[in-house]
Amino acid sequence: MIATIGTYLPRWGSAASRESGVDEDVVTMAVAAGRMAMAAAGRMAMAVVGAGPVKRVVLVTREFPLLEGGNSAALLAGLGLPRDVEVREVLGGAPAALEAVADAEDGTLVIGADETPGAGAAAVLCGLEGVSLRLVGRVNRSLPVVTRNARGETREYGDPRLLRESGLGASVAALGLTGPVSAVVGATGRDAALMSDGGPQVPTGGASATLLALAELVEGGAGGRILAVDQATITGADLGSGTVSVGRDEVTPVSVPAGQLTPGPEISISLPAYERAFEAKLRLEAARCEQCGTLSYPARFRCLTCGSEQPPGTVALPRDAVVYTKAVVHVPVPGLTTPYTLVVAELGDTGVRVLVRVTGSASGQIEIGATGNVVFRKVADRTGVPDYGYGFLPTEVAA
Amino acid sequence: MRRVAIVGAGMTPFGELFGLGIKEMLPMAVSDAVASVDKGFDRGDIAAAWFGELVTTDGFASGILADSCGLLDIPVSRLENACATGNDAIRHGVLGIASGFYDVVLVAGADKVRETSTRSTFWDWMGLTRDMAWDFPLGLVAPANFALHVARYLHESPATREHMAMVAVKNHHHGVSNPKAQMRFEITIDQVLNAPMVVEPFGLFDCTPQSDGAAAVLLASEDVVDRYTDNPVWIRGVGLGVDRVMHAHKPDMTTFPPSVKAAKQAYAMAGVGPRDIDVAEVHDCFTGVELIDYEDLGFCDRFEAYKLVEGGETSVGGRIPVNPSGGLKAKGHPPGATGVAQCFELFEQLRGQSCNQVDGPRWALAHNVGGPTAVSAVTILSTQRA
Repeated sequence: MIATIGTYLPRWGSAASRESGVDEDVVTMAVAAGRMAMAAAGRMAMAVVGAGPVKRVVLVTREFPLLEGGNSAALLAGLGLPRDVEVREVLGGAPAALEAVADAEDGTLVIGADETPGAGAAAVLCGLEGVSLRLVGRVNRSLPVVTRNARGETREYGDPRLLRESGLGASVAALGLTGPVSAVVGATGRDAALMSDGGPQVPTGGASATLLALAELVEGGAGGRILAVDQATITGADLGSGTVSVGRDEVTPVSVPAGQLTPGPEISISLPAYERAFEAKLRLEAARCEQCGTLSYPARFRCLTCGSEQPPGTVALPRDAVVYTKAVVHVPVPGLTTPYTLVVAELGDTGVRVLVRVTGSASGQIEIGATGNVVFRKVADRTGVPDYGYGFLPTEVAA
Repeated sequence: MRRVAIVGAGMTPFGELFGLGIKEMLPMAVSDAVASVDKGFDRGDIAAAWFGELVTTDGFASGILADSCGLLDIPVSRLENACATGNDAIRHGVLGIASGFYDVVLVAGADKVRETSTRSTFWDWMGLTRDMAWDFPLGLVAPANFALHVARYLHESPATREHMAMVAVKNHHHGVSNPKAQMRFEITIDQVLNAPMVVEPFGLFDCTPQSDGAAAVLLASEDVVDRYTDNPVWIRGVGLGVDRVMHAHKPDMTTFPPSVKAAKQAYAMAGVGPRDIDVAEVHDCFTGVELIDYEDLGFCDRFEAYKLVEGGETSVGGRIPVNPSGGLKAKGHPPGATGVAQCFELFEQLRGQSCNQVDGPRWALAHNVGGPTAVSAVTILSTQRA
């Protein structure tokens, strides 16, 4: 049963097609959507929706940042879930996402995230109560009009009518379903219109499209049939009636700010240093001195205040932040897109400050005293390793 | 504790010295220092040497100094303390003589910022001073490192970007008459304010250039100073201060606590205060930093630095001339050499030989602040032995 849904759309691009920012990838977008779904459950109380603690995360995408090495640790850290939660990385598009939700046991967080075509993410938290989703049919056929191989090379065959008639049309016929269709996802708007009357228009075409459409349908409350398409492969499911809480992290998109990416040497990384910092950095957790209570971020061997060298405890830091000072970098920096803004921001009333880059702001013109939140972002690509951490999202953007 | 004097000082011109390596610049600066000794100098008298350098470009640093300067029979150590390297190297030379270990020592400093491409320099140098996991990947380039301080300083103090521009105009004006300076041209307030932005609030003319160069001083104990000169410059105070290294751990970013600590140590050792200083060379890697330096060194009250530049008090001819050499801003900033070159300038000032001479100074102060603004060194010099 669908208990809650969370969505995230990056603020760049157009309403029809969003673009991820330079500090975003499917993991950061999945985290943003997943946190919205869990927050929605929190508002309703987990017990009411019967979701309980999250036992499994299923991430459906075709754009995993790491095909070797895996993305599960970063995903769980960003979501704030324990390290022993099961993560399934599913390579797939709209049908795979629909099947993942329909098959999910309670306590499963299904996330679909995409970079292209159209960037975005959505997450469904499944519980014992909510709105049902039942698979009604599936056809797997091959008509690879767009291909991407293991090296990431893509090719297009370039015949939209072939796809519509021999692909989609033939697969829908093979599905053998009758009755009205409430939503078609994964196909272009024109192809989708042939199969349904209206229905949700979502700005993505992959796994996230399915979940974004589900969000819109459950908000309407009437349920209906949804067809998820991936070229000539198609899956159908029926959504029950009823509404659930939907949390949306979506702001009106603006054009990608004019920036300059300067080529240059790769940003180096020390993997031992990366590993030592990983949990505290990605979970935004401070060390708390057992002797005097002082919070240190990052954690340190010796307490900032009392000098205690006892092993500290760990506490999650608040995410609301106020800018203490800032620096806007205009000079070209190899490997980075300029301009970018760095801020030292104070978190909640903890007195803890963080040095982070501003995210989501077109101008980067953040004033001292500005309020906002720190959000999970990719800080840098470092010789092939996505280095995750936090960015400062000004309130004026989030509004 | 024995008293220590500078008996000779020299430096290369600062600039983009593509044709010279460390192993050429060092012997040039050392020979310049040797030649400046009034009564002549036999480099066989040098009993030990310290070499301040941030980034080694010609290979093993101590060996390069010994090898290139003909000093193969004495102990030589390399010292690195971020942008405070030069004055800290002098502090170590002072310790060597004051302790009674040595009578005569050489302190040299050099760096070649332009030895690497402008593209790779940012990351190479950030790798020296940033936490590799937390701060390094953010792109906290050197100007941003200081801009975080100066932006907060502008927020809390009455100072404006115009006051920062006045520092640039002053130091460029001072640099015109210095044949060793990298940038020997006048600029205007409007040019500073309208220059391309580097890292807000620093435009191009708010920033030090990238420089190559070397400098050297010869130090002697009070027991032997008369052999070399009748006009020594006494090192009366030295200090070194440090701070937490991450900006997030610095409660008040409108000041550099390392500078306050280093100055306090040096003033106490010299038995003088900021009002006694007649001329100073301070760390002006970015214009706003010089304003904060005035306050940290006690030249004015907190948040009143703008009054000093408005009133021309820190120009040559003013109450307390600062950076008569042109400072890092106009003279240049090869970090290992910078502090040593400041003492070269003040050696000449206190002996009445400077190209931009201040009227009759008796006390002088040199100051560096650097790293992730977590280290500072101060040296106080005087014409007075005691």
